[in-house]
Amino acid sequence: MRRPNPFLFALYRFMLRLYPSRLRLRYQEEMLQSVRDACAERREPAPRFWLRLFADLLTSSIKEHLLMIRDQAVARPVFFHAIILGLILTMMGGAAAVAFQQLLRRGADEPQIQMADDYAAGLASGQRPSDVIPLPMAIIPTPPIVVRREDGSQAQLWTCCSIRMTGGVDIDRSLQPFALVYDDSGNLIFSNGHLDQAIPIPPHGVFNYLRSHSVDKFTWQPRHGVRIATVARRVDGPHPGFVLVGRSLTLVEEQEGLLYHATFIGWFVVVGLLFAGAALLSRVQSSTLNSQGS
Amino acid sequence: MIRSQPADVHLPLTPAVFAVLLALAGGEKHGYAIMKEAALPAGGSISLGPGTLYGTLDRLIRDALVEETGLTDDARRRYYRITEFGQRALTAETSRLAALLRTARARAVHGVTRPDGAGV
Repeated sequence: MRRPNPFLFALYRFMLRLYPSRLRLRYQEEMLQSVRDACAERREPAPRFWLRLFADLLTSSIKEHLLMIRDQAVARPVFFHAIILGLILTMMGGAAAVAFQQLLRRGADEPQIQMADDYAAGLASGQRPSDVIPLPMAIIPTPPIVVRREDGSQAQLWTCCSIRMTGGVDIDRSLQPFALVYDDSGNLIFSNGHLDQAIPIPPHGVFNYLRSHSVDKFTWQPRHGVRIATVARRVDGPHPGFVLVGRSLTLVEEQEGLLYHATFIGWFVVVGLLFAGAALLSRVQSSTLNSQGS
Repeated sequence: MIRSQPADVHLPLTPAVFAVLLALAGGEKHGYAIMKEAALPAGGSISLGPGTLYGTLDRLIRDALVEETGLTDDARRRYYRITEFGQRALTAETSRLAALLRTARARAVHGVTRPDGAGV
């Protein structure tokens, strides 16, 4: 008389947990005894025997769970429909949030796409980077001039303001776009942005990608807490190379945070109301049935 | 309540249910004996694993087609028998299959005739 392989038998016993607990508690010992009996009398090779046994366990456990769900749906239809509706609402809310997030993220590339095109065209025509890419400017109002009128009264005269170049975009703090220009070997030749008083190094593989694809759009994280919507473009012409135009995603990420927050609150309220309504309806139905029964 | 239902309410029976009822129609049996009998050509050559068998038995007991005898060798081996309602369901299914078989045999022997009288 053959005895079951101890390891496979223990595994089978463990996997009986896949069945709904009611069924498992009721039939577990009988099922294990059937396996012992079948193993003692088996005529087929052991691998085939155990394979058939585990396949039966998996398929029948799935079937039992589906039947249990069906039985519960029949017994409590209001809650079942509420769960289905809740799942649909959750999926729709999730899909809408993801769609809005994608719109926000793609919108963050908007000025950089045009700027990268313009800069690449200018550089391809042979212009120097400093001629094509402006340094960021600061507009500083000059103080008003006080003038005296003929009648002796005073008036303030606002004149123009002064415009001066700043030392470049602080990538960590500014929302202004910045540009980096590299030669064909990937050496930096121009930058009007800096991070922590240094020029950040682009992600590995960007230049190789641009050699075959001409343009790339990606989120660049030069250090923790700093994420940049970046558009990179290949520069052709007499001095080939690459131009990267980026802009901090701080504002977009704040908007994304608000979006997720609002979506979660909306989902929580709607699903909460749905289940509260289902509970109320279920109670009304059962009290109606009770009164009809009595 | 369930026993007052017409026997054909559960028809058509699944092959597993038919094999279990057929095995129990020959007398009360424990789970492994039902599996063995179902696997025989006379039992339908149905390969019932323990998971399929006990899930099926559970539903048959709930629907009052099968019941426990109350006799046990030990906790690991309980005996089951077919109820009168189960017997009626089995008979109704057998009649249904027999009628189906008659039709199939008639068509297999004579062939399907086209409207112009030619055989297919």
